Amino acid sequence: MSFIGLAAAVATFLSIWFGHVAVRKIEFISPTIWLPTVVFAIAGITLEWFSLSTSNFLLSAAFGIIGITLLWDALEFTRQQNRIKKGHSPANTENPRHARLMREYPAVTTIDLLKREPLDKPVSHTEAIKLITER
Amino acid sequence: MNFFGLTLGVVTLFIIGLGFVWVIRGERYFGYLWWPYVMGLGILLIIASLFVNGFWGPALLGVFGASLAWGSTELKEQAVRAEIGWYPFNGKKILPPLAKVIKKWKAPHL
Repeated sequence: MSFIGLAAAVATFLSIWFGHVAVRKIEFISPTIWLPTVVFAIAGITLEWFSLSTSNFLLSAAFGIIGITLLWDALEFTRQQNRIKKGHSPANTENPRHARLMREYPAVTTIDLLKREPLDKPVSHTEAIKLITER
Repeated sequence: MNFFGLTLGVVTLFIIGLGFVWVIRGERYFGYLWWPYVMGLGILLIIASLFVNGFWGPALLGVFGASLAWGSTELKEQAVRAEIGWYPFNGKKILPPLAKVIKKWKAPHL
């Protein structure tokens, strides 16, 4: 039995999940995006340093995967802000940065258009909003 | 210095990146109802990795399996994105076996 694949799988699944949720939540509330970007980048580099330093292949694999994923998440803060600008992710009116985006970009919305079950048919923008707000 | 984890991390990033491609294309041509099959295949690959010797073989099986399992939970949201028009919508999808049964289950989204 070799547990390195299981360790790599758990590290991959959990770090994707963590990044997916954390980037959205932090970008939603953070007044700046540079601060979380720097924090995630430092965390990622630190984990890569751990990964290089250990002789244990299982730990090296887990740290290596989690570290690179955190480095990618650092870039995702900017990509998430771009989704907000396009209205592809909901904006937070309480966040001064998002309030500014709402004034500057007409597509910005507080509605999460993806929060529903599929209908298996194309819908117009108006219908897409109705499907979220009128249920 | 042990470069195994760093190299595996970079390879993992590309395997996850590949996930974006197959989730988008897979949903377009086959539909989100394939999710239980994709999840099952991912779990099978992770189990198979337990019985492979060496470092790279089991590690890549594990990462690919986990990426499939994650992608299976993204298919439903991708279906909604296509319905809204953020991605092309295809009305003639190749549905999976037991599609009617799967439709009654709540597709996972994390």
